[in-house]
Amino acid sequence: MSSTHYNQELKRRAKFIKPPNKLKQKVGSGGLSEEILQKAQELLEHNTVEFEPLANIYLKNLSYGIESAKSYSTIDDVDHTLSFMIYPAMQLKANGGMFHYPLITGVADRLVQFLEVIEEPDVAALEIILAFHTTMRAIIQGKIKGSGGHHGEELISALDKACTRYFDKITPPVIEFEDI
Amino acid sequence: MTYQFDNICVLIVEDNQPMLDLLKSILNTFGIDNVVCARNGEEGFKAYCQHKPDLIITDWMMRPVDGISLTRRVRNDPMSPDQFTPVILMTGFSERRRVTQARDSGVTEFLVKPFNARDLYRRITQIVEKPRQFVRSEDFFGPDRRRKKKDDYAGPHRRMDDVEKGLTSQVFLDDTQQDYAT
Repeated sequence: MSSTHYNQELKRRAKFIKPPNKLKQKVGSGGLSEEILQKAQELLEHNTVEFEPLANIYLKNLSYGIESAKSYSTIDDVDHTLSFMIYPAMQLKANGGMFHYPLITGVADRLVQFLEVIEEPDVAALEIILAFHTTMRAIIQGKIKGSGGHHGEELISALDKACTRYFDKITPPVIEFEDI
Repeated sequence: MTYQFDNICVLIVEDNQPMLDLLKSILNTFGIDNVVCARNGEEGFKAYCQHKPDLIITDWMMRPVDGISLTRRVRNDPMSPDQFTPVILMTGFSERRRVTQARDSGVTEFLVKPFNARDLYRRITQIVEKPRQFVRSEDFFGPDRRRKKKDDYAGPHRRMDDVEKGLTSQVFLDDTQQDYAT
């Protein structure tokens, strides 16, 4: 066996533990009835939370993140800089759908996906992030609850295309042998 | 026969008050009346030590202490009343690297926001009916990160029980090449 790992000791010696299932002992069996689950779902769907004030806080934080990123230079920590935009975007994504704004969740999700993969907040990237911000602000100000229907789909599609164009520009084309 | 949730205590750690209220209401509807609340990971750990809940449901992004740090304390702090307490982490992140980050902190289940009542119920049921075994290694303590057994698992076999099973045919690979089931 030692030859399998050259002359090295195994690095990770894992010990497995099966803790007593205290939760199972306490709650027993049988699950919950469909009626209870339905009731819980209705409670969630009919919550009367005003999302707009919360959304405005996150949008303000996102705006602050965009402003801070404008002064980004290569000596700065890119993850730290992006985090000021990722976190409010993630909050908008997470909470929009919980409080009757699934369109905010859809738009913010695309923004999070974009922020997770950009190399750095360059001018072109910040323009796109600003477009996301403007779009979400308009949705909140217009109190566009629900998915936004066809118009909502078009909005997300347009933002998606802007992101795709951004990556098309910064990604060097693949040179095929036939081209040389 | 249904679950007797009135016997358990759940700790919710969430800095967004409307979200916290909503989650508490859903748990109440499930029949969980003993719900303790905290506004961040620091308060959460104090509440955890004081109330010794059976389950923790925590948000990820909170200041000054987030849900990941709270989970690490639950798993590793000598003051922790029960290192095996199940933790459900709620977050808007769904990207693979974020899931991996959460999993490596010792989180039991991952709940992506926005979620519905059934999503939350499924996570709780998973913990009750299919609890994960725990793993203690030199650099990790928490629920087994390889929950699903993959017959076609092609990654490195580095555990002692892998040695016993004669599975150490592959050399160690760089961590980035690991392919754990999530």
